[in-house]
Amino acid sequence: MSQFLDSIAYGSWILHALVLLPLVGVVPVLLGPESSARRTALIVTTLEFLLSVGLWWALAPGQGGLQLVSDSPWIPGWGISYRVGMDGISLVMVLLTTLLMPLSVLASWHYITRRERGYYALMLTLLTGMVGVFIALDLFVFYVYFEVMLVPMYFIIGIWGGANRLYAAIKFFIYTMAGSLLMLVAIVVMVWKVQAATGTFSFGYEHLLGNARSIGAAAPWLFAAFAVAFAIKVPIFPFHTWLPDAHVEAPTAGSVLLAGVMLKIGTYGYLRFAVPFFPEVALSPEVSALMVTLAVVGIIYGALVALVQPDFKKLVAYSSVSHLGFAMLGIWGGSLQSVQGALMVMISHGFSTGALFLLIGMMYERRHTRMIADYGGIARVVPLFSLVLTVVALSSIGLPGLNGFVGEFLVLLGSFTSFPWATGIATTGVIFAAAYLLWALQRVIFNRLDNPENEGLSDLSRRELAVMLPLLLGIVWLGLYPAPVLRRMEPASQRYLELAQPPAPPTGRVSAAIPEGRP
Amino acid sequence: MSLDLATPGGITLALVPELLLTAWSLLVLLVVSWRHRTAEDSRLAGWLSFAGVVVSLAGLAALWVNHAAPEGLAQMVALDGFRYAASAIVLLAAGGTILLSLGYLERERLWAPEYYPLVLLATVGMLFLAGAEDLIVLFLGLEVMSVAVYVLAGYNRTSPFSSEAALKYFLIGAFASGFLLYGIALVYGATGTTNLVLAGAQLAGRSPPLMAALGLGLLLIGLGFKVSAVPFHMWAPDVYDGSPTPVTGFMATGVKIAAFAALVRVLMETFSGAIHVWQPIVAGLAIASMVVGNLVALAQRSLKRMLAYSSIAHAGYLLVAVWPGSPAGAGAVLLYLFAYGLTTLASFGFLAVLGRGGERDVTYDDIAGLAATRPLIAFGLAVCMLSLLGFPGTFGFIGKWYIISVVVAEGHAILPVILVLTSVVSAGYYLPVIMAMYMKPAPDAERYAGVRLWPAAAGVVALSVAAVLLFGFWPGPVLDLAGRSGLTLTQTALPLAGP
Repeated sequence: MSQFLDSIAYGSWILHALVLLPLVGVVPVLLGPESSARRTALIVTTLEFLLSVGLWWALAPGQGGLQLVSDSPWIPGWGISYRVGMDGISLVMVLLTTLLMPLSVLASWHYITRRERGYYALMLTLLTGMVGVFIALDLFVFYVYFEVMLVPMYFIIGIWGGANRLYAAIKFFIYTMAGSLLMLVAIVVMVWKVQAATGTFSFGYEHLLGNARSIGAAAPWLFAAFAVAFAIKVPIFPFHTWLPDAHVEAPTAGSVLLAGVMLKIGTYGYLRFAVPFFPEVALSPEVSALMVTLAVVGIIYGALVALVQPDFKKLVAYSSVSHLGFAMLGIWGGSLQSVQGALMVMISHGFSTGALFLLIGMMYERRHTRMIADYGGIARVVPLFSLVLTVVALSSIGLPGLNGFVGEFLVLLGSFTSFPWATGIATTGVIFAAAYLLWALQRVIFNRLDNPENEGLSDLSRRELAVMLPLLLGIVWLGLYPAPVLRRMEPASQRYLELAQPPAPPTGRVSAAIPEGRP
Repeated sequence: MSLDLATPGGITLALVPELLLTAWSLLVLLVVSWRHRTAEDSRLAGWLSFAGVVVSLAGLAALWVNHAAPEGLAQMVALDGFRYAASAIVLLAAGGTILLSLGYLERERLWAPEYYPLVLLATVGMLFLAGAEDLIVLFLGLEVMSVAVYVLAGYNRTSPFSSEAALKYFLIGAFASGFLLYGIALVYGATGTTNLVLAGAQLAGRSPPLMAALGLGLLLIGLGFKVSAVPFHMWAPDVYDGSPTPVTGFMATGVKIAAFAALVRVLMETFSGAIHVWQPIVAGLAIASMVVGNLVALAQRSLKRMLAYSSIAHAGYLLVAVWPGSPAGAGAVLLYLFAYGLTTLASFGFLAVLGRGGERDVTYDDIAGLAATRPLIAFGLAVCMLSLLGFPGTFGFIGKWYIISVVVAEGHAILPVILVLTSVVSAGYYLPVIMAMYMKPAPDAERYAGVRLWPAAAGVVALSVAAVLLFGFWPGPVLDLAGRSGLTLTQTALPLAGP
């Protein structure tokens, strides 16, 4: 496979192709007739997925550094170049994105009935932005992708969303923008500080990373700006209030992409930028304690709030807060297992929560309600649907053998030595997850079939099965044999740990610990 | 090419754009005194005036391309890249305004073609204001510009709001001119010269005498009125609101561009030694403008008033770029003026086609569902709103980023942080425009049947929107040009900054 890829010089054009292909696809979507927009979008996104699969082989395993790097000048006078590349972390994120995209298009097949051209054009633009964020190696480019992504999602929520969509759309937009603009100032400050130390004015990632030590006293402020921007995106408690609104109001595909990909941009931001740039600040005892506390609060709070939601979609939305808390805990856990676990949580959350939102969308298309109370006993009417929902819910809970278990287990295992108390409390989050999802499952598909409207429900169609099948396969594969994925990510995680060295403890304590010069 | 400004030939060449435009406006005035009855005549005057702007722009380009520079000290009028760049932006705004007015005057039945020569004369004033190297020239330019714009503001004689706008603008403007003139007198008293560079040389290297500091303060007040910075902004919303919409666009772009160019030149050439005196004042004005402009804009229902307050907020952003007093800062002012000018002109152009009778009452609800029937207009206006918001991918973002960069280069981050936080606030009133157009249903299907861009205006807004997007993605050349132009200001006592 690698030889074939080499023969077509795959590595040299693939990253540009992945960004450009959706944009090129926008043209036929907009110019073609309304009825064929969805088909064009499906073809483009499927092609994008097939193209991206080659990355799995193109990336040399065992190397922690950035690969497939390409650099072309953009605004040369200002040290800005279009610099892209990837490592194992970017790889899995890009693949997750390109996989979820055709499924989202398929899920919108009958759901989106008006202004289809605009909708699919926005979906394709969103794809460009999401892929771009994960491969950008210039902070200016990263910032542009980070922000540009907002616009399509804003329109998708605002035009095709539910009843309260306008409020949700503007809240989503303003929250994210507030964080990212502060990050912009931090980026500019950082570039000037590094310029003062090295004489080179550049927004390049490696340049800034290599010289981040020269920032000095401003580092806590800069870290705070980066951390808040990503905290809103993740979202970490207490920056999460935009999330339930946006998720609930967005159309199914919007929720899938929000949960499946866009939340991960926050955790990815910590792994790629915030912590490696400022390890002294990020991993200092105070900041670590704060972040771990917020992560654990998010895990428990998200789970507890999910428990009492009458709306199934809102329940899943709050469960995202809980799951992403595990990812945050893993990032600060400081061991290879915990970081690998955090990445696994990010991936499996994409699969499980994406699948859950898709299933809720299917329920909604049939009954036009998402209230748990309106269902009950539908396992008898729609057995296939119920089976799939059960499997997906169990994977989200973290049942061993399915994907959710691997990540959460690794996170808890890896974080225990550094934060025993926090990890102990976080473990209860798994129990809460079982509680809210199993209880919801019981009320939706089991119990008595007491609502006559549910008697006529139709089971999964072939299209819907085609949407769910790849996700189910992924759920089982990642649960039973996650080793290939973990192996791909391991060098990158290792490198992250090397970059993110916690600050050395004060010298006084060291000398006290080592009884040197004592008689 | 170097010109000796002491000789008649030299000064004539140096003033080619201004002289061409003045002669042309007199010519148009002559034409319209014969032909001023029908729509046909109005159109003729419009196109003639547009040709005048093009001719003047050609003269300017000739100076710019040949790098015309003064032999020795520039007297009366500057010959540097900063003047050329500022004048070019002013002329573009004037040309755009004329083309936007063509259909507008016809629709509003304002058939008095003297409108166009007035626009040209105002532009002449702006060119002098942007290029003045002498405080007296600066004052003359300001007055020529202002008097013409007072008349334009009241051009719709039948509308009481238009008359109110003209009167308000005139009274406040006269008041501001008084401040400015007194400031000039004090500076002259302190330095014995009205030449900006000579006065700067007098003041360099020592803390400014009280008289000069007072003069500086009064100049800041006078120009602060013209750029509508808080707390000198009270006139702006009513005047913007009452004037015919293309005139509002002209005031928000041309007047502001010229006044900012003059402000930067005075502060950097004359008062660069007194930077510690004016920096806190400029910072205070900037913060007040950004906060007040953005917060009050949030409360507006009428789009025209919203744009008026937003232009106050943008004056605040521009003052942030003025604050460092560095050549890079001057470049940032130029770039932002260009970005802001393009976007604002197009926004007022869209507003002009959306309303009737002065557009005073076009609210957010009146553009509901526009995207369904007029997708191109909605798209253009959406791009403008995102650019004013400073969103990546648009020229407005490049402008804001440049401002942040030049201020951070001085080692300060408080003004940039306030800038971005108030920009977030501005999302609260720019986004509802997009929201109304795309996300709300139209009240009835025939609502926008009459909304049509007349061809000339369509050309202007299409070009502006295209430029906003083009420079948003490919800003390298304009960034370089702005940076180089900012470097050409005559420095008396300043260290260099910028990469």
